[in-house]
Amino acid sequence: MLKILSAILLATIGFAGFNSASFASEDAWLALQKAAFAARELNYQGIFVYQNGKQTRSVQITHMNNAGQELTRNMILDNQSVAGKPTSKQPREVFSQGSDIVIFHPKNDKVIIEKRRGQNLFPAMLPVNLNSLKTSYTAKIGVLDYIAGRQAQIIELIPKDAYRYSYKIWTDTEFGLLVKMTLQNEKNETLEQITFQELSMLNSHDLNWYQPSIDLSKKYEMEDATLLNRVHTNWIVAELPPGYVKVDHIEFMANGKTAPVNQMIFSDGIASVSLFIEPVVKGQRPKMGHHLIGSTHICANIVEGYQVMVVGEVPLATVQQIAKAVSFKKQTATR
Amino acid sequence: MKEQLSALIDGEFDVENAEHLIRSVKSGGELQECWQSYHLIGDAMRNEMVLSHDFSARVLSALGDEPTVLAPQPVVKPTIAKTSFFKTNQFWSVAASVAAVMFVGVMVLQQQLNSAEDSSPIEIANSMPLEYLEAHQAAAPSGAAYYIQNVNLTGAGQ
Repeated sequence: MLKILSAILLATIGFAGFNSASFASEDAWLALQKAAFAARELNYQGIFVYQNGKQTRSVQITHMNNAGQELTRNMILDNQSVAGKPTSKQPREVFSQGSDIVIFHPKNDKVIIEKRRGQNLFPAMLPVNLNSLKTSYTAKIGVLDYIAGRQAQIIELIPKDAYRYSYKIWTDTEFGLLVKMTLQNEKNETLEQITFQELSMLNSHDLNWYQPSIDLSKKYEMEDATLLNRVHTNWIVAELPPGYVKVDHIEFMANGKTAPVNQMIFSDGIASVSLFIEPVVKGQRPKMGHHLIGSTHICANIVEGYQVMVVGEVPLATVQQIAKAVSFKKQTATR
Repeated sequence: MKEQLSALIDGEFDVENAEHLIRSVKSGGELQECWQSYHLIGDAMRNEMVLSHDFSARVLSALGDEPTVLAPQPVVKPTIAKTSFFKTNQFWSVAASVAAVMFVGVMVLQQQLNSAEDSSPIEIANSMPLEYLEAHQAAAPSGAAYYIQNVNLTGAGQ
């Protein structure tokens, strides 16, 4: 007992030795940790707005943690007109249960049901384990602000190198929930913003909201057999930008393609990059170079007769490095 | 009729009085389509392996003259014969053929190595592959851009 006490005492003295800056950093990480849990554990409902370049979306979210099982319904409120014609009045609904996502997507006289996998959707943007973030970013406490009529603490995530952008995260001072996040490039221009406009905590445990609104005048169909398959091929990325790890590898048949597309997803904990590999089709000119769309960089490369495409809301250097580092390992000894 | 069918599937309609519904579902047409929609939605929401689109139609025809099989238990949420699908050989043969297709896909992928050196590369900016953008946004973790998905992306970068 005495040993434990003295250990605590020593630890306290040790902490006192830190300067105030590292205390502030500890507080910042603590707030982010709290935000990561709050988004998954609390029951809430609200409306958030997502902006990327000129595009805007309003989404109504209902989230409930039902005995450890996370249930979310996202209703996309303003279906923008496509090619000048207004789209269906029925909103697109996205249901998620853990990382399984079911999308009800009204299209003319049909409703297409799409199944996806995904995680870390707003406001659960932060991973529960922050270690990966800590290796690539420093966290800093910013000023207090008000979001959706509630007090929020700003935390800044500042990249330690040029392979990622910076983030500003607003956390609710009462509930800890992430209520706003922005993405800034190296020139400190805001690329993306996602923020609650309305937010309230739910007191009921009623699950009646967790069902799609069914329009019986429409025909429901599963989306065309887009086969998703988790694979282990011999594609390797020899040198990933620091801090990025492979989080997923899938293979799918894209519309109008004759061979499956390999997609690998890399993440540093918050930023993510997709790598696509598919054979170059005869008679079609392969793509090279890079381009910026909104906040997304795309870089194309050709490796051993394959089209390589790297896409992510990250600096150009990151997609370029990944595009260059792809190679095909002919050995299968490791399998 | 559609509302009654909905209530029946939700277990909120008296099964004793449902014979007319079951008869019209079985006779095909609009109500049968509704029946299929409901089950498709139910399967998707319950996170079950959704089988082919006409699967429920085939089940329906296989059920023959047993209307009571169609009727869900009154209070409990309907789970019509679903577990048994997975135990049948039919399910596993579907799964096996899917696996075979994927395997062939990989073979094709690997055989096409070095098959296209005959056309010169094009600059990406002149031919934007938006399908990749969409696939990235659909699958990437913490994709805030997820909500932009399926918007008319053409010209977004100009």
